[in-house]
Amino acid sequence: MADTDDPRRGYHDIGGKDYGAIDPDVTEMKPWERQSTAISNALGAAGRHIYVTDESRRAREQMGEPLYSDLDYYERSTESMKMILVEKGLFSEEELEARMSEIAGRMAEARK
Amino acid sequence: MSGNFAPGDTVQVISTHPPGHRRTPYYIRGKTGEIERVCGDFANPEELAYGFDGLPKKTLYRVRFKQTHVWSDYAGPESDTVDVDIYEHWLLPA
Amino acid sequence: MAEERGTHDHDHDHDHDHDLTFQPNIEDSEAGRYELMTYAIRELLMEKGHLTPDELRAAQEKVESLQHSDGAKVIAKAWTDVDFKNRLLDDGNAALAEVGVDAGAAKMTVVENTDDVQNVVVCTLCSCYPRAVLGMPPDWYRSKSYRSRVVIEPRQVLSEFGTNVPDDMTVRVHDSLADLRYLVIPRRPEGTDGWSEDQLAAIVTRDTMVGVANPTAS
Repeated sequence: MADTDDPRRGYHDIGGKDYGAIDPDVTEMKPWERQSTAISNALGAAGRHIYVTDESRRAREQMGEPLYSDLDYYERSTESMKMILVEKGLFSEEELEARMSEIAGRMAEARK
Repeated sequence: MSGNFAPGDTVQVISTHPPGHRRTPYYIRGKTGEIERVCGDFANPEELAYGFDGLPKKTLYRVRFKQTHVWSDYAGPESDTVDVDIYEHWLLPA
Repeated sequence: MAEERGTHDHDHDHDHDHDLTFQPNIEDSEAGRYELMTYAIRELLMEKGHLTPDELRAAQEKVESLQHSDGAKVIAKAWTDVDFKNRLLDDGNAALAEVGVDAGAAKMTVVENTDDVQNVVVCTLCSCYPRAVLGMPPDWYRSKSYRSRVVIEPRQVLSEFGTNVPDDMTVRVHDSLADLRYLVIPRRPEGTDGWSEDQLAAIVTRDTMVGVANPTAS
């Protein structure tokens, strides 16, 4: 299969490449992954119409190859949802990171 | 306005690599196939991806390609196909 | 895990900068970055009025309820009712609605495995999948390995799933990239004559409706 790594080719556009053996293991969705999916669905075309699937796909294609390769599927979904919501001005990266830190703090407190 | 192709027509996917959100995969660009069915009219995902309404709708086609044509070293029989959903503006008569 | 918003002291010490790559207490937190991000997104959206607890609960229940059993029931009916099968092939959404399955916004396209053709479905660009009928896609379907390889070497990929397709049959790969979602009607196996629809549905696994496997009467 010809793979000349055309720089015009998106890193997500992988039909015909060879990413190796397929792991047949099926894992259960984690609760947070289900919640992330639910939030996305609730904001989507069937719910609040804040954004559509095409926008989150586009965000996935824009997050950069390092993130795209390092993150797993639900992490990528969450990252792309975040990118779109920040793009649309619903919250800022700073607000989000601050809230994440706060939540991590609360969770640590709860474990004591 | 609906697209111009009917089942059985031979079409070629245009060989262009524009930046941005596209739903025509790299491996099929420039390839020739046959219209397998007319799928209907849909808002253009290339526009929806940027917050536009994607109207007027574009006609979506299912195009059947012979695998031996798509891949230079395809190992299977001549009859094997890959069927791809492609929008009208990516297709030219061939 | 505590989900209430207790009083919070905003004056605690930080020993790192608040830049965009700030990893909040990641070493101490058992929750990874994206789990924390999910909770933070949820809270911010609710505070700002873009999401209510009821909306989230309904959406979450919907995700939890999705599984492949609806698809299996449809296949079993297609096997026992030729007219239904033909309606399914002609207009997937309408036929699914007949049996109470709502395929949502997707245009369900149903393809049939025959003595001559084995169909297999992929979305090479992301992971489009008929979630309303089959539930959430399995890890392998979403993997770069499957997405990259099945379109160029389907027979090898199928054999890795234990499905060997003879050369006198055609393999059709469906790359579902647009608003269409695909469902494969697998071939009804030998040894199932006289079976009830429930018995038939029980042998229709998710993998057989994606096309990487074929059902057996065991």
